[in-house]
Amino acid sequence: MATTKAPKRSLVLQRRETVVSYLFLLPALFFFVGFVIYPMVMGVITSFTDASLANGGQGTFIGLSNYIRLFQDKIFWKSALNTIIIVVVSVPCVTAFSLWVGSAIYKMRSGARSFFRCVFYLPVVTGSVAVVVVWKWMYAKYDGLFNYLITAAGGDALPWTESATMAIWCVLIILFTTSIGQPIVLYVAALGNVDSSLVEAAQVDGATNLQVFWKIKWPSVMPTTLYVAIITTINSFQCFALIQLLTRGGPNYSTSTVMYLLYQIAFETEKNFGYADAMGVVLAIVIAIFSAVQFKVMNGGTTE
Amino acid sequence: MKKTKRFLALALALCLSVGLAACSNSSTPGGSSSPAADGGSGDASGKTKITWWAFPTFGVDSGYEQELADAFMAANDDVEIEVVTINFTDGPAQLTTAITSGTAPDLLFDAPGRIIEYGNAGYLADMNDLFTDEFKADVNNEGLLSSCQGRDGTYYMYPISSSPFYMGLNLEMLEASGAIDYVNLEGDRTWTTDNFVKMCETLRDSGVATVPGIVYCGGSGGDQGTRALVNNLYSSTIVSDGKWNVDANGVKALELLQSMVSEGALDVGNSMVASDELQNFQKEICAMTFCFGTSNEVSYAPIDDAYTQVAVPFPSDDGVPELEYLVNGFCVFDNGDQAKIDASKRFIQFICDDPTWGPKSVVKTNAFPVRTSFGDLYEGDEHMALLASWTQYYGPYYNTLDNFATMRNEWFNLLQRVLAGGDAAAEAETFNTNANTVTTG
Repeated sequence: MATTKAPKRSLVLQRRETVVSYLFLLPALFFFVGFVIYPMVMGVITSFTDASLANGGQGTFIGLSNYIRLFQDKIFWKSALNTIIIVVVSVPCVTAFSLWVGSAIYKMRSGARSFFRCVFYLPVVTGSVAVVVVWKWMYAKYDGLFNYLITAAGGDALPWTESATMAIWCVLIILFTTSIGQPIVLYVAALGNVDSSLVEAAQVDGATNLQVFWKIKWPSVMPTTLYVAIITTINSFQCFALIQLLTRGGPNYSTSTVMYLLYQIAFETEKNFGYADAMGVVLAIVIAIFSAVQFKVMNGGTTE
Repeated sequence: MKKTKRFLALALALCLSVGLAACSNSSTPGGSSSPAADGGSGDASGKTKITWWAFPTFGVDSGYEQELADAFMAANDDVEIEVVTINFTDGPAQLTTAITSGTAPDLLFDAPGRIIEYGNAGYLADMNDLFTDEFKADVNNEGLLSSCQGRDGTYYMYPISSSPFYMGLNLEMLEASGAIDYVNLEGDRTWTTDNFVKMCETLRDSGVATVPGIVYCGGSGGDQGTRALVNNLYSSTIVSDGKWNVDANGVKALELLQSMVSEGALDVGNSMVASDELQNFQKEICAMTFCFGTSNEVSYAPIDDAYTQVAVPFPSDDGVPELEYLVNGFCVFDNGDQAKIDASKRFIQFICDDPTWGPKSVVKTNAFPVRTSFGDLYEGDEHMALLASWTQYYGPYYNTLDNFATMRNEWFNLLQRVLAGGDAAAEAETFNTNANTVTTG
């Protein structure tokens, strides 16, 4: 009898646990569906309409018109090019620099390691507005720190964010400083987890530091590198607050990104939600493609 | 597993980027109540609840909005008012989001640019009943009254006060450089383009300021200043036959500014908006500002009386300026509840027309009453008397023309291109095309 009753109780228990699990998941699921899935679906649907402030956001279906306009829009292409520049420059720089710093500090004593982690992580925990305001002051044309130092050293003041050629590099520098904190912490942790016996064995066998790095450490931190690359890519594609606060996309759209243009179209100029959503959809597809390529390349074709 | 991970990566990317774009239809501004969601105007006490969103025209954190609401509620116990102050940085986007998501406030204190856009789009209750013959006769200014009308002639904004935009100069810098010789500080202080150029050149040559002045064009903030400058230099206009149009004289003005920038008589602020330029004026980095007004005079007053600020109208070739001006006023959103609309209108009349609160509210805006019957609210104040005398130079009010927001975006980009050395005529043509391209329904 006992052998027949035991599985029944177990089944009831299992079912109860399952129900409880789903109940625990419910709040998160509610917010995920309400604030992520629903807006995402609505965004895709709206991109095929002429929804704007003028029609209460309740546009009519206009097929691919927004997408056709988008591919004919020179400002969109300029913004797309700027976005690509930001991604192509920032992702390798952030990844390589973080790995370098991580490699340099992970072997340090606990106190020194914590100090450096704090230094590099500080811009991450500092509010983005505060960070950009400080950088804006440093870049300021007339009384900024950088131009003060340059002129004090006998040089000519630089136009920084005033120049169409320099402005995007000003954006990239800030993006770089605010993006490296988390990857450095991750790399320090990942490098700390590399099997030291493998490293010691290789060193005993006469491997150079470079060989140890490429043959042992690099493969070990590859999952971290993949994560860092994808997250930095997504963040770079979505660079918005920094541009809104620093350059507002100028001069002459030289720092306008797709994300910033999207905001401008939706909330500042045309208030054309359909067109802005079309940009959002295209941006999402591009990010997805970039992420998939990174996944493929960095994992050598295997994702397991 | 491989497919699952790939799907998750794609889904994550899609969620992150489409989310922002779609939030225009799904989110509400933080911290504000949703009148539409109330499900009706009254609460358990039978009061009509209205929400008032106010830009800081009465002053930042002045508390005056709540003071007004309390005074009105004390005299009208059937109405309950919730005051929500918004700022000029986030406020416009919050309004757009609220309107399209059906959570617009009942009452808004703003200016015609946005209000008429909302009115034309059908979001506002008409205010025709408030524009009585008595009120129109009291205002006695057709241009000002028409700034409150939508394209079909419906009144959407009830005005309370108005003030001109003008230039500000640093008196001590002008005196030290000798540039004061070119500025008219007598009478109503009108002056000419030639003298403006000479003043800038003298300031440049003297080196008393880092730069004589800054043509800011990093965004649309305070862009009425640079438009007034361009339009006055050779008496041009930006509107022709109801269309945005930089005409031949406008091109001439742009060319003049271009040459002044290239010769160092002015500087360009590609990443600056008016607030940046005003801060540089306040810090005595530049000797003039193109975005002075009754409110900015106070907000950017000299620190520790370090210098004396002088207000002058914009210079023009014929010495007769056409000034841009600000109109402050109220609108009521049509949230489908007549009781709320009526209560909002009563509150507006209390703020604007009450014998005690009306004049007090006008003074709080630091501007001049639209009602002539209010008389001189700044008696004995010579400076305000001077500014009041400039109302005769008010130019045509164009902020209610269609595509105003698009035009503003095109305007600062036009300045950037021209002041970077672009061909003024060709760039003006690009502006004329882009600013008139209707892209919304």
